[in-house]
Amino acid sequence: MAAPEVHHLFHHPIADHSFSADRKTLAVARDTTVELYSRVGNAFKLKDELKGHDKTVTSVDIAPNSGRIVTCSQDRNALVWEPSPQGYKPTLVLLRINRAATFVRWSPSETKFAVGSGDRVIAVCYFEEENDWWVSKHLKKPIRSTITTVSWHPNSVLLAAGSTDAHARVFSAFIKGVDARPDPSVWGERLPFNTVCGEYMNNSAGWVHSVAFSPSGDAVAFAAHDSSITVVYPSGPDQPPKAIISVNTQLLPFMSLIWNGEAEIIAAGYDCEAFRFKGDSNGWQLSGTLEAAKSRPGLGGGDREESALNMFKQMDLKGKVKDDTQLKTIHQNTISTIRPYEESGSGVTKFSSSGVDGRVVIWHT
Amino acid sequence: MSIIQQHSEASLGDGWRRIDIDRLIEDSSVNFDTSTLHPPLPETSDAEVLQINSQVRQLLRGGDSEGALRGCLEMPVYNGSDSAKDSHLHTVIEVLQSIKASDMTPMLQRIYNTPGGPECLDVLMKYLYKGMASTSSSSPEGSNSAPRTPTRVTPQQTGFSQVGSRPGQANESTGGAMSVLLSWHEKVTDVAGLGCIGRVMTDWRRV
Repeated sequence: MAAPEVHHLFHHPIADHSFSADRKTLAVARDTTVELYSRVGNAFKLKDELKGHDKTVTSVDIAPNSGRIVTCSQDRNALVWEPSPQGYKPTLVLLRINRAATFVRWSPSETKFAVGSGDRVIAVCYFEEENDWWVSKHLKKPIRSTITTVSWHPNSVLLAAGSTDAHARVFSAFIKGVDARPDPSVWGERLPFNTVCGEYMNNSAGWVHSVAFSPSGDAVAFAAHDSSITVVYPSGPDQPPKAIISVNTQLLPFMSLIWNGEAEIIAAGYDCEAFRFKGDSNGWQLSGTLEAAKSRPGLGGGDREESALNMFKQMDLKGKVKDDTQLKTIHQNTISTIRPYEESGSGVTKFSSSGVDGRVVIWHT
Repeated sequence: MSIIQQHSEASLGDGWRRIDIDRLIEDSSVNFDTSTLHPPLPETSDAEVLQINSQVRQLLRGGDSEGALRGCLEMPVYNGSDSAKDSHLHTVIEVLQSIKASDMTPMLQRIYNTPGGPECLDVLMKYLYKGMASTSSSSPEGSNSAPRTPTRVTPQQTGFSQVGSRPGQANESTGGAMSVLLSWHEKVTDVAGLGCIGRVMTDWRRV
């Protein structure tokens, strides 16, 4: 396994990050701006700043084909940034929410995006040609609390959302005139807007941090604040699911998870490192960390032999023998987002992570 | 230019900042019963608790302390009267006190590695915290005289306020129970990790 590629951008939390399809541009949400970095050799250099929000930007997503960037912020707005020769042009989206926008993702079709909010609604936004404007429709029922995360099904109609009311839900976000009628699936056949296709919680009911559809779209996984991940395999519309598998771990909670094929999930969070889970509808297990022992920054590799003089010097200066101000992981603080970076037919070959420590790291799976 | 055309007493003051606007929104979180978010828990009656407790004591007398521990952790009282919850807590503490310190870790590891074991240790952790909250309050263990209300579990009454109440007379036994709970807490965290503590805090099923 090759060593991960570490980019320490700045000393500030990164709320969210997104790579363009060619992986040459990296957008990171920093404070009230979105910074665009472009790859120069092995490093990322600041190229542009998108200023338009006046409160903390909570989420950013680059559409792979159109190159449009959508951002959302605690100022209750979402902006779509259209690439043009003169730079990015922002367009305001009519979200009609009166609490912070927390999370935004483009649908795979790139004709819609979903914005989660503290207003107990998900705004599903699409472009209305006749008004030349992005408008939204609200998914409202039965959400009882802040939406923390959303994830699109590959068919661009179904949307999974996680909430602080401890539920992960699957909705239909079908917009007439924008979407083609979806093929029937395990989630249902007729799917008008705001159909609730599934509502799940685990036993101890931690609030949900992250949710993701499997690559086929036939299973959904979510990570909750009770340090667990839960995988749901539905059996059909209006029927109890085939299996709900919860894995409670000894670790701290996970903030973000992605699928790698149908039989592997990668999750990362407050433990500052990524972990691998393996399983299928019969059961899931934690199978280990993705942090290779040798890649850990020991600054020169492992524990150095200390001279006696140095030891007493350290004891005198710092009151301790070892300098243990660094975590043994690459990320030095909570990982807040992980995303697929490079994919092959069978799964994710590389993924990227960003966190509170201002680092973006590209990992090999 | 101000949007407010005419200033009044109300618009000049800052009282409007303290209006709880969530109350005015019909479907906001303060206006619905949050317990409806969860499926209802099966109720445990006092008689059932007594039955479980006598079975557990029997196991304990027979020398099967691991079976006794499992027995009381598999049947936690989530939904029951305060007296039922308290008597179950006392049984758990009794079992914990009867287990030797050297047996703790191996026993916890055996339980953790069985199916349903991690869940059991989560429950044990809940009882440890509840035990610490109640032994440090004025009434020592064994008293079911004072009806406990959840409001009494304030941050000041966790295990660490115990030092303050040291000069009391009833504190010898309280201190003993507390040291047992603390050493169990350490051992459970070693086996079930920090995730276990997080689950105790997030879980809506309270013991």
